[in-house]
Amino acid sequence: MPQRMPAMTTLLIAIGNSLRRDDGAAHRAVAWMSLPAGVRLRSVHQLTPELAQEISGFDEVIFVDAATVGGPGSSLEELEGSGARPALGHAGSPAQVVDLARRLYGFQGRALVCSIPGTDFGAGEGLSPTAANAAADAARLLVDHLERARAGGRP
Amino acid sequence: MKERILINPVTRIEGHARISIYVDDEGRVQTAQFHVVEFRGFEKFCEGRPFYEMPGLMARICGICPVSHVLASAKAGDAILGVQVPPPAAKARRLMNYGQVLQSHALSFFHLSSPDLLLGMDADPAIRNIFGLAAEDEEFARRGIRLRQFGQYIIEVLGGKRIHPSWGVPGGVLKTLTAEERGQIASWIPEAYETMEIAFGRFKPVLDRFTDEILHIGNFPSLFMGTVDDDGNADFYEGRLRFVDAEGNTVADGLNPARYQTFLAEASEEWSFMKFPYYKAMGYPAGMYRVGPLARCNVVDAMGTSAADRELREFRQRQGVVRNETFLYHLARLIEMLHCVEKIEELVADPDLLGEQIRVKAGRNNNTGVGSCEAPRGTLFHHYEVDDDGLIVRANLLIATAQNNLAMNRAVEQAARRFVTPGRLSEGMLNRVESAIRCYDPCLSCSTHALGHMPMVVELRHVSGELLDRLDRS
Repeated sequence: MPQRMPAMTTLLIAIGNSLRRDDGAAHRAVAWMSLPAGVRLRSVHQLTPELAQEISGFDEVIFVDAATVGGPGSSLEELEGSGARPALGHAGSPAQVVDLARRLYGFQGRALVCSIPGTDFGAGEGLSPTAANAAADAARLLVDHLERARAGGRP
Repeated sequence: MKERILINPVTRIEGHARISIYVDDEGRVQTAQFHVVEFRGFEKFCEGRPFYEMPGLMARICGICPVSHVLASAKAGDAILGVQVPPPAAKARRLMNYGQVLQSHALSFFHLSSPDLLLGMDADPAIRNIFGLAAEDEEFARRGIRLRQFGQYIIEVLGGKRIHPSWGVPGGVLKTLTAEERGQIASWIPEAYETMEIAFGRFKPVLDRFTDEILHIGNFPSLFMGTVDDDGNADFYEGRLRFVDAEGNTVADGLNPARYQTFLAEASEEWSFMKFPYYKAMGYPAGMYRVGPLARCNVVDAMGTSAADRELREFRQRQGVVRNETFLYHLARLIEMLHCVEKIEELVADPDLLGEQIRVKAGRNNNTGVGSCEAPRGTLFHHYEVDDDGLIVRANLLIATAQNNLAMNRAVEQAARRFVTPGRLSEGMLNRVESAIRCYDPCLSCSTHALGHMPMVVELRHVSGELLDRLDRS
């Protein structure tokens, strides 16, 4: 009887403050998704060091976050750069948290960033039309990636 | 010739700020200012909202200490209702507050300040961070993360989420613990004690290497304020306020936090969005007082828990009952973390915590309510005035970081006088000036009501505006 391959696990981290309009676009994007098996969602206001340990338990981590540049569509790319910058404040960047996960907890998986372009980061709720469209775009990108990754293909 | 050295923005704190250092013709530091350059105005935009919505709204002020805002806001709501919350609710609130102080202090000590303390103020800025710390001692860095997780776990279990839990409400709380959740919390405690022992063991010997910093980073006389219970022990949830002076004399005691406006006032300066609270009886700025870990350790008779009291006694034996050195905020923070672990252990063993009556309901019985508690950075006040329909007419938030504003400015000036020599800018020199601020672990999101942080740029300018030198850490 052939041995079954263990399922790939992904941690999806949606970042942002939904009271700063487009900054909450990640939360909108993941709310539209039906998550396949092996995917856990974590919705956060900001990235903090203890997420490093959580990441280490997964094969892959995807940070979903609003961006002030780029677009008009969303993008899903490999996380680039090192987190070893001079300052880590009360909140960190994806690169910093992944770097911590690699150094302290031996994380060896992939790290990706899904960027959702926004235009309005003022106080208030609701997304601008640009961010709303881009959030839908991001949800499609993520679903496609997760399905292909689980089917054994490369995104 | 006058010059201005600008540190903009200050790193490893929450929010936007910059430091300007002014020097005279001979290059001697004349004065320094800690500017807070952001503004949000929560007090204004909550006007017209029902008071029972306030804990949920106020939690959004800050991602680091939302629990403190929830508690102070819920307590102000209790006062408007005119009720006493049931014991299970009061104890659950206390438990969450200890979890909050523990996680906030762990972040400050292990992640933000330990790089300076354990790697040295002059260490290469490329490694003077949590990554450098991890390279030096992985286990220490991991333990810091776990201790913070413990505090956050308590918040998440009670409030449903780690950040911005809308859990405290006027009249009580929305949920307390199940027996299983209580057991889960208890299972973290042995590791938390072990981590605290390691942290004290690493930090206390290191203190001797920082004699210069201890003496010259914010070592000045001031008043100190904190909340104590009926026995004079530390109390982070409720009690009376006590002021002591720089020699340990009690200046005022038994003050009702609800009457804070009779003994505290706030001044403004055009160069900062953060206000400057002061002790009214001594006027501005002579009424400078400090709050937070060092202040609490200075005002209490005892912490009220055995292990923390052993550490407090040792702390006081070093030089006296009252310590004026800002640098010792770090050690005070450690004592408070240990105290929090002890109080959490005490609370989870209390059968009241599993009680079912967690909320009392009432209508508006008063038009004014003040709620206060001890937040990680010091005493926090929420003061609401409502109309007969319970809608907010006026809100005033007196935040711990703002109450340290005068002291932070004094500390920066003192550090600059000792460590800055114009024309010889160095990272270590400027890091010491910044560290004067970091000792207070200020949360500018709370105190101005904004969020965000940026890389740091240091500029040396002639008073005419000519750029003379520049350091960029971005």
